[in-house]
Amino acid sequence: MGNSLQISSRREGNDSAVLSLQGEVDVSNSELVRNEANSLLADDIKRLVVDLSATEYLDSAGLGVLVGLLKRVSESDLTLIIAGARPQVRRVFEITKLNRVFTMRDDVASALREVAR
Amino acid sequence: MSTVATSQIELRIPRKPEFVKLARCTAWTLAAQLDFVVSQADDIRLAVGEACTNAVEHVPAQVSEDIIVRFSVGPEKLVVEVLDNGPGFDVHRAGECDCRETGGLGLVIIRSIMDEVEVICDPNTGTCVRMTKFRNRQ
Repeated sequence: MGNSLQISSRREGNDSAVLSLQGEVDVSNSELVRNEANSLLADDIKRLVVDLSATEYLDSAGLGVLVGLLKRVSESDLTLIIAGARPQVRRVFEITKLNRVFTMRDDVASALREVAR
Repeated sequence: MSTVATSQIELRIPRKPEFVKLARCTAWTLAAQLDFVVSQADDIRLAVGEACTNAVEHVPAQVSEDIIVRFSVGPEKLVVEVLDNGPGFDVHRAGECDCRETGGLGLVIIRSIMDEVEVICDPNTGTCVRMTKFRNRQ
């Protein structure tokens, strides 16, 4: 089975970061997402945007990682925004009602404008 | 593909995370062949993935049996059963949550997107998650 997820990250300005997930997030690789996100949070950022615009599939394992991430940023007075989720991925948030819990924006640019305020 | 009688397709995968994708992709391909619309095929893929993930994550490590994914194709519906030999759900707590301590998301998702869902637990034989999607419903 090949790795069906590419994880990348970049800094935006002094205190923001974008974590991009390209491909499929599931039980086989969600731990990698958790590790990368935790590395970013340990790097003295104030705001994290998770870019799901190239995420083709996200299941409960991936959602669980994002929920854990949200708990961590909330405890640390940081900001987390989910950006660019495609309809099928957004549907998973809606089914679980987590779209009411996360701040979600249509794209990374909108999310970065929001965190810049 | 014949739709006159019920046909069965059975997939046996190792109980490892990297094989869950194989099960859900098989489910999507079959659903597409059965003329489910794309959104329905996506739902069937997600449900099968969640049921397999549950079996992978919450069956004790010492249990080494495979996961069986059985597709039963009938003229009116597709039934998918995901079977493992784990201890199963706590049926007394299985209202809105998956009580194998997944945080509840997996079973909530399955119940939201499939037309019928049964969770059958037998301490001797394991757990079967039976999910039905009717073919003539949008």
